[in-house]
Amino acid sequence: MKKPSIRDILYEPPGPKAQRRIRITTAAALLLIAGLVFLIIRQFAETGQLNARYWAFFGRGTTWRFLGEGLLSTVEAAVTGALISFAAGFVLMRGRLNRFPVIRFLSAAVIEFTRGVPTLLFIYFFFLAVPRMGWALSSFWKITLPCAVSACGVVAEALRSGVNAVPKGQREAALSLGFGEIRLFYKIIFPQAFRFVIPSLIAELVIVLKDTTFASVVSYADLMQNAKVLISNYDAMLSVYLVVAAIYILINCLLNKLSEYLARRMDRAAERGAA
Amino acid sequence: MTDNNVPVIDVRHADKHFGKLHVLRDISLSVNRGEVVVIIGPSGSGKSTLCRTINRLETIDSGEILIEGVPIPPEGKKLAAMRSRIGMVFQSFNLFAHMTILENVVAAPRSVLRRNKKEAREEALRLLERVGVADQKDKVPAQLSGGQQQRAAIARALAMRPKAMLFDEPTSALDPEMIGEVLTVMTELAADGMTMLIVTHEMNFARRVADRIVFMDEGAIVEENTPKEFFECPRSRRARDFLSSLRDR
Repeated sequence: MKKPSIRDILYEPPGPKAQRRIRITTAAALLLIAGLVFLIIRQFAETGQLNARYWAFFGRGTTWRFLGEGLLSTVEAAVTGALISFAAGFVLMRGRLNRFPVIRFLSAAVIEFTRGVPTLLFIYFFFLAVPRMGWALSSFWKITLPCAVSACGVVAEALRSGVNAVPKGQREAALSLGFGEIRLFYKIIFPQAFRFVIPSLIAELVIVLKDTTFASVVSYADLMQNAKVLISNYDAMLSVYLVVAAIYILINCLLNKLSEYLARRMDRAAERGAA
Repeated sequence: MTDNNVPVIDVRHADKHFGKLHVLRDISLSVNRGEVVVIIGPSGSGKSTLCRTINRLETIDSGEILIEGVPIPPEGKKLAAMRSRIGMVFQSFNLFAHMTILENVVAAPRSVLRRNKKEAREEALRLLERVGVADQKDKVPAQLSGGQQQRAAIARALAMRPKAMLFDEPTSALDPEMIGEVLTVMTELAADGMTMLIVTHEMNFARRVADRIVFMDEGAIVEENTPKEFFECPRSRRARDFLSSLRDR
């Protein structure tokens, strides 16, 4: 059976009038978009942005290698930051659901703090304050750690909502079979909770990835930083930003596809062996 | 090791409130080895709550509950160990949604009792065979009908080799055509000598299988009787009213 899409849930199937309206609005929207694109390109052309000197250096291998190196650094920082935030978020979630009120309170405080403070502030903290406290951090950790700290509270809350979404009966059944609290959590509750939150975790990975664009603050050579170098070298702002934006969009699209793929695979696993 | 004269389940003067609601009023009830006791009564009478207090899924305010003569431990490993000796079957099956049917039956013997993998698996397959869902063993719960899920849940409880089984309205969430298959499994269990405490609305089944009927209303035990007497000439007025209200349907 085909899973119903959101549209199937929200609306009934369109009748003949609605279908006509849909066709008309679609055509109108396409025209409007085409018009806008035309205007933008014309504006570019008039202001000389389409001039070959702004685009020619994209034909060189060195440009792409330079951007590729930046991209690799971005991915390294984002993946490391996300993994740290997942681990810290897990610990915070466990604390938030702890039986001791003191630990619950402390965890809630940390979660609220990290969720409330903007990433850039954490970056300044690791960039300016931490070295003064005598800890020398490489530029990699100066961008990775604040991104992780900034995300961990959100991750903790996502994980907690997953745990709360597991039906109470699962816990009762496990208790009645003699599971202790720890095994109950790791064998019964968390595996189910984790499946619920995979999309949220990947969404958080996307946010961490976007946060790493602050890397230029700490002069870490990520994609954004290298883009800025290209801009100053070739005096070509618009073309470089367009290309870099396209790269970010591409990566985040891939991550969203990954999220959909994992969700689908889990659905299939749930139907494994179906006749 | 265990004295046959000591009741498997012994509830003494149990009282419980949910806020202002007095859900259990001075309940005393014992179930002997091999006995099948069926609790019936109108909804809201405290039957399910009583059933759930016996493995401490609900606590009681006062009174005590003994399992084979030993009070239920209040917490920790001892409580878990006690629970593992009492099987429980829920209205909503509560099979572990992320595991296959076979994994559901193997999980607790493996991780609670630390049984050998091969033996746990063989016993699980035997039990699934016994309740008639062995051919579903590699599916996940969501792919099974309600009746199949409930039978698998019974197999999961049996895999712990429990001293007694609690059934909390095991057929109330089932489509009518699936009730029979679950009751058949339960009847066979009773015939095999399993000690059972059953909360149910299935009167014909209760009459057939029970050694004793316990009728509850408004949190109290109103009448304890043999099935024959209870259904033919109940002693209490409330039981008479309850039974006639069922007949009127």
